[in-house]
Amino acid sequence: MKAIMKYLLVAALTLACSAAWSFDFEEEFKKAIKDGVQQKIEEKSDAATSSALMGFVGISQEQEITIGRQIAGNLLGASALVKDRSLQIYVNNVGRWVASQGERPELAWHFGVIESSDVNAFAAPGGYIFLTRGLYSLLQNEAELAGVLGHEIGHVIRKHHLKILQQSSLVDLGGRLLSKQIGGSDKVQKLIGNGAEIVARSLDKNAEFEADRIAVVLAARAGYGAFALPEVLQQIGHFAKDDGSVALLFKTHPHPDDRLEKLGLAMSDRLEDVKGKTLVARFYRIKP
Amino acid sequence: MNLIRLGAALFALLAMSALAAETGSVIRAHGIKAEPFRDAKTIATLSVGDKVEIVKKDGGWLQIKSPKGKGWVHMLNVRKEGVRKDAGDMGGLLGLASGRAGTGKVVATTGIRGLDEVELKSAKYNETELNLVESYAVNRADAQLFAIRGQLVTRKFDYLPSPEVSPE
Repeated sequence: MKAIMKYLLVAALTLACSAAWSFDFEEEFKKAIKDGVQQKIEEKSDAATSSALMGFVGISQEQEITIGRQIAGNLLGASALVKDRSLQIYVNNVGRWVASQGERPELAWHFGVIESSDVNAFAAPGGYIFLTRGLYSLLQNEAELAGVLGHEIGHVIRKHHLKILQQSSLVDLGGRLLSKQIGGSDKVQKLIGNGAEIVARSLDKNAEFEADRIAVVLAARAGYGAFALPEVLQQIGHFAKDDGSVALLFKTHPHPDDRLEKLGLAMSDRLEDVKGKTLVARFYRIKP
Repeated sequence: MNLIRLGAALFALLAMSALAAETGSVIRAHGIKAEPFRDAKTIATLSVGDKVEIVKKDGGWLQIKSPKGKGWVHMLNVRKEGVRKDAGDMGGLLGLASGRAGTGKVVATTGIRGLDEVELKSAKYNETELNLVESYAVNRADAQLFAIRGQLVTRKFDYLPSPEVSPE
């Protein structure tokens, strides 16, 4: 009984302090359960967790966009946009159409192709999404672009990066900052760490698998072939592990083969007979 | 002279592309289908580890040849092998090998740098570029017109559940 009280106290304190829902906490919590703490705590935790989640949801969309804007501005400081207006408008058309199939169609979505030979794509809160010239150049058709953007849109819809901000100790700071009016960009900068490092951080691998599942569904809803993202993943899987252009992507994501396997399990027979468009003729070929 | 050299180079590349048939290895046991859809007739059953030669693609389906038979299998049941990218500039060659010559597909271009963690950490906010990307924004209605021009038809689909069934 004493032990249970102790766990209750620890659990309550942990929740009170972090005021955040996190994967780490879930792991800790599972351990606690394994150690013999029973049902009671579980119920308590659910209530506490959901109230923490409510607090999380309490970050307004406006604040989320302010954070995302800062991250996007920093990322663009590292790699500028490809100076090809037609390309950028094209990518925004495809991206916006795919995003319209999700739960946040009203968000002011922004898409951009940035100058980097690396193969990668990034999402920032509030709907700022970028892919590199290196990745774009690998794409064969519009459906593949839709699939890649769909993955990043999935991160935004599910607020994966906001959750990362909350997991880190920046949360407390963030909570206090965000409870007031966000002032200058300095405050927001403090919240997101150095530069655009947040986009280089690894998400939980389940968040990546989730974004893949969202991507194929959004692409299918949008009228594209559902297997375009898997095609891209297969191609990326062919890169040598020591190839510098995929170093960061491979470091921050599960290997494409694992992602394909998980997608295969999730999609099983659900989407096999879905014939969507690839729109290879309309696909905008990037100038070298 | 230059023309001859170019011709020779092109010939070499084309010859290579002819040899570089894509192959795959089966990662999930499944049937070879007579046609590229799920309810099509099953011709034979492939086992994990079986090698197949990929003839062509159609949506998520691959037409394959294997000692067990010829037909269609779903791409997610096969891990592609064969063409492997090595570090460096295989982009052009790969482009040719898969019939994508002249698509402007250049992977390793000198002068364009990568984007690593160090660069991301030290990145400085660029308001001009941010304003530029925001100027490219497309609204929802315009995106819909864009979709109509591409004859994209929306369909209903539920999100896919995570394949991890049991949490513990």
